[in-house]
Amino acid sequence: MTTDKQPAPHKDADYEIDTLTNDRLLKDHEYDGIRELDNDLPSWWKWLFIVTIVFSIVYVVRLWVFRADDLIQKKEFEKEMVDAKSNPANTQPAESFEIKVLTDEVSLAAGQETWMKICSVCHLADGGGLVGPNMTDKYWIHGGKIEDLFKILETGVIEKGMISYKDQLSPKQRLQVASYVLVKLQGTTPATPKAPQGDLVE
Amino acid sequence: MELQKFTYDNKLSRMFLFATILWGFVGMLVGLTIAFELIFPHLSGGISWLSFGRLRPLHTNAVIFAFVGNGMFTGIYYSTPRLLKTPMYSELLGKIHFWGWQLIIVAAAITLPLGITVSKEYAELEWPIDIAIALVWVVFGLNLIMTTVKRRVQHIYVAIWFYIATFVTVAVLHIVNSINIPVSLFKSYPVYAGIQDALVQWWYGHNAVAFFLTTPYLGLMYYFIPKAANRPIYSYKLSIIHFWALIFLYIWAGPHHLLYSALPDWAQALGVVFSVMLIAPSWGGMINGLLTLRGAWDKVRESPVLKMFVVGVTAYGMSTFEGPMLSLKSVNALSHFTDWTIAHVHIGALGWNGMLTFGMIYWLVPRLFNTKLHSVKLANAHFWLATTGMLFFAVPLYFAGFTQSLMWKEFTAEGYLKYPNFIETVVQILPMYYLRAFGGTLYITGVIIMIVNILKTVKSGTFVETEEDQAPALHASKHGEDKGHRLIEGKPVLFTILALVAILIGGIVEFVPMFMVKSNVPTIASVQPYTPLELEGRDIYLREGCYTCHSQMIRPFRSEVERYGDYTKAGETVYDHPFQFGSKRTGPDLAREGVKTGPIYKPDSWHYNHFSNPQKMVAQSIMPPYPWIISNTLNTSHTAKKIRVMQTLGVPYPEGYADKAVEDLKRQAAGIAQGLRDGGIDVADDKEVIALIAYIQRLGTDIKK
Repeated sequence: MTTDKQPAPHKDADYEIDTLTNDRLLKDHEYDGIRELDNDLPSWWKWLFIVTIVFSIVYVVRLWVFRADDLIQKKEFEKEMVDAKSNPANTQPAESFEIKVLTDEVSLAAGQETWMKICSVCHLADGGGLVGPNMTDKYWIHGGKIEDLFKILETGVIEKGMISYKDQLSPKQRLQVASYVLVKLQGTTPATPKAPQGDLVE
Repeated sequence: MELQKFTYDNKLSRMFLFATILWGFVGMLVGLTIAFELIFPHLSGGISWLSFGRLRPLHTNAVIFAFVGNGMFTGIYYSTPRLLKTPMYSELLGKIHFWGWQLIIVAAAITLPLGITVSKEYAELEWPIDIAIALVWVVFGLNLIMTTVKRRVQHIYVAIWFYIATFVTVAVLHIVNSINIPVSLFKSYPVYAGIQDALVQWWYGHNAVAFFLTTPYLGLMYYFIPKAANRPIYSYKLSIIHFWALIFLYIWAGPHHLLYSALPDWAQALGVVFSVMLIAPSWGGMINGLLTLRGAWDKVRESPVLKMFVVGVTAYGMSTFEGPMLSLKSVNALSHFTDWTIAHVHIGALGWNGMLTFGMIYWLVPRLFNTKLHSVKLANAHFWLATTGMLFFAVPLYFAGFTQSLMWKEFTAEGYLKYPNFIETVVQILPMYYLRAFGGTLYITGVIIMIVNILKTVKSGTFVETEEDQAPALHASKHGEDKGHRLIEGKPVLFTILALVAILIGGIVEFVPMFMVKSNVPTIASVQPYTPLELEGRDIYLREGCYTCHSQMIRPFRSEVERYGDYTKAGETVYDHPFQFGSKRTGPDLAREGVKTGPIYKPDSWHYNHFSNPQKMVAQSIMPPYPWIISNTLNTSHTAKKIRVMQTLGVPYPEGYADKAVEDLKRQAAGIAQGLRDGGIDVADDKEVIALIAYIQRLGTDIKK
């Protein structure tokens, strides 16, 4: 930095020397007692500016002239989606399993987690129902078998506001949460149960 | 040479100074209130004018235009006459400026909590107030420029350059961004729509930061640091280069607020590169401020004024390095819509603007009142409270920002979103919101200590109404004496014109193609205007400031497309006067909320319950309840006029449709209300909530996935 430099020779009558820093003071530069020094731009500052300008030129040339894929966001997005699909973790054939009620505690705990995260937003945490129907009683609009629940989770009942969860929950997660409903929620007494809807299934 | 005697009038500086303290306290108190509302969503007690969405614009406007605005005027009215060796051109213009500005602030403080807003960030004020701002600003500018014309020194000092740039640029920004067509005294629609409106708004918004929060304060820095330290400015050459580079480059950088949005790639690229090129010019200001203190560092240890200046200028350096980094697309993909942005701007507001203002106040008050500061100890306490308060504010929010962003983007091994429910990511960062509120409390405690200190100082002294000075008259400069930059420093009117040219170029280059070249906003045939009910619902959405927490701009990322639905296209926004992209996701994006086959669709009854009491539907939600939207009757007296204004703006409603609008509105409302009643919700057709639900269910539905 310029602070380390030797005092400039005091030849030029246009300058005075600042005694604390030995830098040159500009003559006639005095504003309400404020003086100005004649220091040059710090060289690291000049280089910083030059580097950012070069970066900028390269950047716009890559986009405007060479149409670089990584600067065109549509292509960037398409690449991300292709990469995700070709990811070996995502291309493994779906685990095949039987659609039956899971009763082991691990599956039911996983089901409960999904219930609290997603389903409770409409059916309430205790399953009593609010926007969606009560899941604790024995009345079912679309059937109360495990296959029925599993199917609804996949297709949704959009006219009633239930969306499809096939893109948000894996088949296993859907089976877990459906099991949670049948094993854990059915027959409990929620705080504010919604009136029965659908048909009684004993 | 004969010396002429003249006087400096301190009255205006004193008035602006007290206004700075008063509005600063108010603005920060509102900020603290909304920080607590984010932790305790029921704090607003169901009172509409206390809700987050209405107070947040009040907080930003108060801090920017009332606190920093009055702060800059304090310094400008004090330093300009002394730097130019002449009184201000007109005391009357100065008084009109002062009272006009305070009246505008009061008008803002009343209208914003009432929900009277255009909903464009930092440009929320409605058209009558916009006109008042333009007039008062011209009064200020006239007074400033005429004072430079009447000066007794040959050359204008760098502080004045920055004041001039501030005046011309803010005038241009404010006028261009505020061109709205009125519907009534309290309601108007911007002439721009969608992505074009967004470009104009962020050209304005970014340069409000540049030319309202930065350039005037650089001017203050160039006056008060050398005065307080009694040291010469480090480098005159650096002043020249960084001044012109800064004002020329800054104006281009607005599109960095719209990275990965529907803005064309070429415009986004300009936002990136001009932000990166701003590092050096910004740091030029920081270096010139800090290195001016060479030889005076012993004084810095002693003086709370200089300590505040040092922290302020350092905060400026930090945030002007961070800004360009946030403008890189890869960083922005992570930071945008998160609390990272909030942390970033508060380094600027609390650090740069706050500290510089406080330092100036502590320096100025003893001089204005011919006395000593009541207590240096209290000023030091304020310094430490402000510094630690700022850190407690910013550091947790940085952490919150990238924690939440990473959670939004995380996928499971099976390829599903790890945190599909947005609320999980909110709950995770809630402790950081507590810390932020604690930081804010520390900061405002410091301000209260300052108020006590200043009041005691004022009491101990007597006000120096005027100060005498003398200087020789300005002689017409001898031809050929000045060379290079010295030449235009001697011609302030020419200087003003050159500054204007420098700041016009960037805007013109970005706007002309965006508005003239059709391919920049590809039209989509299936995109239709809003129905009258949806339009009214949209106006409720604007009134409540929903955009302060919910974006409507799905970026082209796998994580966002999976969470919200197809990414947002420019052509979908063409009837959005104003655009509603938002800039922060405290809650989820709503751009495709109405898409029934999408991942976030909710039925009407869900929305009804949710507006009435969000925690009923999402137990851990931090959204406040909106009982007044449930109980208010929808006002349809302006519906027809709104349709007509939209037609003027080019929205293709059929001719004569305005007269049938209310009829259509009622029909659509009856359908929605009946559906709700069928589900057991007791609601009348004519409630505001029906219109809001209609709008929410329309969002994103024009193009099918």
